[in-house]
Amino acid sequence: MDLSLTEEQEMLWKSARDFLASKVPKTLVRQMEEDERGYVPELWKEMAELGWVGLPFPEQYGGGGFNFLDLVILLEEMGRACLPGPFISTVILGGMPVLEFGTEEQKKAILPKLCKGELIMTMALTEPSAKYEAKAVQLEAHHDGDDYVLSGTKLFVNDANVADKMIVAGRTAKGHHPPEEGVTLFLIDRTAPGVSVHLLKTIAGDKQCEVTFDKVKVSRDDVLGRVGHGWEIVKKVMELAALAKSAEMQGGAQQVLEMTIQYGKDRVQFDRPIGSFQAIQHYMADMSIDVDSARVSLHKAAWMLSEGIPCRKEISVIKGWLSEAYRRVTAQSHQIHAAIAFTKDHDLELYFRRAKAAELYFGDADFHREIVAQELGM
Amino acid sequence: MDFRFTPDEEQFLKEVQAFLDEVLPPDWLGVDPDGHNEQADEDLHQFDLEIRRKLAARGWLGLQWPKQYGGQEAPMMKRFILEQELIYRGAPYWAISAALMTGDMILQFGTEVQRQEFLPRIARGEMQWCIGMSEPNAGSDLANLQLKATEDGDSYVLNGQKTWQTGAYYADWVILYARTDPNVKKHKGITTFLVDLKSPGVSMRRIPQITGHPAFCEVFYDNVRVPKTNVLGALNGGWGVALFGVATEKSFGYWLINSGRRDLQMLIKYCKETRDVDGRLLCQDPLIRSRLAQLAIELDVGRNLGMRLNWMATRGMPIVATACQLRPLGGSILQRLSHIGVQTLGLYGQLDEHSEWVRLRGRMKYLYLASVAMTIEGGTNEASRNTVASVGLGLPRG
Ligand SMILES: Cc1cc2nc3c(=O)[nH]c(=O)nc-3n(C[C@H](O)[C@H](O)[C@H](O)COP(=O)(O)OP(=O)(O)OC[C@H]3O[C@@H](n4cnc5c(N)ncnc54)[C@H](O)[C@@H]3O)c2cc1C
Repeated sequence: MDLSLTEEQEMLWKSARDFLASKVPKTLVRQMEEDERGYVPELWKEMAELGWVGLPFPEQYGGGGFNFLDLVILLEEMGRACLPGPFISTVILGGMPVLEFGTEEQKKAILPKLCKGELIMTMALTEPSAKYEAKAVQLEAHHDGDDYVLSGTKLFVNDANVADKMIVAGRTAKGHHPPEEGVTLFLIDRTAPGVSVHLLKTIAGDKQCEVTFDKVKVSRDDVLGRVGHGWEIVKKVMELAALAKSAEMQGGAQQVLEMTIQYGKDRVQFDRPIGSFQAIQHYMADMSIDVDSARVSLHKAAWMLSEGIPCRKEISVIKGWLSEAYRRVTAQSHQIHAAIAFTKDHDLELYFRRAKAAELYFGDADFHREIVAQELGM
Repeated sequence: MDFRFTPDEEQFLKEVQAFLDEVLPPDWLGVDPDGHNEQADEDLHQFDLEIRRKLAARGWLGLQWPKQYGGQEAPMMKRFILEQELIYRGAPYWAISAALMTGDMILQFGTEVQRQEFLPRIARGEMQWCIGMSEPNAGSDLANLQLKATEDGDSYVLNGQKTWQTGAYYADWVILYARTDPNVKKHKGITTFLVDLKSPGVSMRRIPQITGHPAFCEVFYDNVRVPKTNVLGALNGGWGVALFGVATEKSFGYWLINSGRRDLQMLIKYCKETRDVDGRLLCQDPLIRSRLAQLAIELDVGRNLGMRLNWMATRGMPIVATACQLRPLGGSILQRLSHIGVQTLGLYGQLDEHSEWVRLRGRMKYLYLASVAMTIEGGTNEASRNTVASVGLGLPRG
């Protein structure tokens, strides 16, 4: 057993932290909440040059050849910094399924550009039913000669406003099949005729979109994976996304804990730092329990994934836990900061809003409890 | 990063599992459901002795101690593996652990003579120990203890009272904290003694716990003579010994979590086999599924922190703050688990273990009562949080 980070991971962690601290001030984070694009293209380029965008992809496709645990360490720091932009969308929702399920042509066409920071991606999965379930995929995709024609609405699609390409889940077979069968994934350019994108305004100011498909033609070559078997890919990608999101949440929670401890030392009432009041100390002790126990569980799941050990349960354990713990930690921090953080000027509110949004992404605690129940054979 | 045991540790784990398959009855539910009278306590004690002798025969008591004192010089991780597996399977372990913990302290603070005298006997499973810290007016405020030790020739003479002494009734010896200097700051006048409980002047009274199990004792010391050679550590150095002891009791939170894992598995199995009035399996009830899954999540998260704690200990890293994080976490999870356990059994959840209608042999009812102590014993949740805040988070003292 060795639960320490490697020297390389330590370096990645520190350099990520320094880079993000200098390049992503909270003024930028706030500005991006209002921005139509929601990210800074120059910064994206820089991150690609640092090798971050291509981090988990094999070198033959221009990536860095790192494993998922390395990626998780980077994502923790992104969460700490509230980095705005389409990182998880591009790397996890877009790049990962192409890498694992794409044809060689698809990989060659997409991954090197993606790693260079020249291609932003996302996945269009959820629909107005707002569920991460196979039966929720209703968008029609019917055969038309060599093409497919897609019609319908996707909702809560991350970063579709800036994505060059999206992976769209459509239903190619209906009827008596179980809902997991008959889902097919398509690679579609955002600029394809018939695609339109509308930004939604959300609690965290991140960029989620309504994407409508009006008789959008897709060639057979742009099917990702096998026709009718797209759900297997989605399931896998949702696991990766839940883990990646958990890493971001972990970093955010860590930052909130640290901010709160500092505030406890600085803020004086009744002639003493509030961090000397036992009520406050116990709140903070509980916050630290939430955060520290989560971090081991996060790393365990990421390590298992990197080692190829089945870890569906472990991923749901950490996303299920953090979906509640991150929210709990930010709420507790608000109580400790009191009025000062109930303002738009204070950093804490950024985390409070993100914690709630992150809870809902890629399955909330209820969703992941159900997976854990299944994994326990219930 | 690597969360795996080494092949050697893995092999040892298998040996321990095979050992437990052999020594525990096949339908063993864990120590206590039955322990609500003195006869049951006696039976449990006999079983405890049997397990202890078998562990000793394997050389598994004092695994990591030097060979010259009866140990195996095994890596610390093996001790943890053994301990957590015994706890997970619900083997009687409390008394054994008190002896091993005392042994650890003798190894750390003891004289050569004390090490030679006590460690091999503990390793052979011949000595039962209990822990003499708490008094009526010294609970969390341990330094407030009043039991007096007065110097007299080559001995100290003890006068006073201890309380909440788990297992004292069956113990041979106690590791005792007494006041040797009343004229200095509270925590600077305490000394640790190794005391033979058969010494003249020791008397005790058993106290039934909320479960009915008479595990507590009040122990009275009336002019009890202890040779000076049985002082452990420095004169008036008892506070340092106590702190070390509390730190070696570090795995208590992990202890709870591992015992909870077994209880949850038992409960899940029950829900997979039992149908409600509509003929539906309990585990298909969405509420029950969700509650049990949440407990599984909490136990997993706690277990991971526990693994980290053990790993930190094997690396010689400071562990007190992490141990104190794990305690409230473990204790609170177990209380939720027992509450949900009773709730899941419904009206059956309240039945006494001897009722013919009882389910899971009353384990959930028992646990519901027993878990009250799980946020108290070995340092309360509040005391643990105080330590997390000061040692772990560096917050200013109140
Ligand atoms: C099952 C069980 C087994 C035990 N076994 C042993 C044993 O073998 N040997 C032994 O010596 N003792 C034993 N004890 C005693 C145990 O160590 C004490 O119960 C424990 O230290 C708490 O002391 P107390 O019960 O006197 O509570 P108190 O210290 O009186 O505490 C009462 C309440 O006040 C709170 N409190 C106290 N001080 C503070 C503070 N500074 N800040 C915030 N809150 C505070 C506590 O958290 C608690 O909620 C055992 C107890 C139990 C329940």
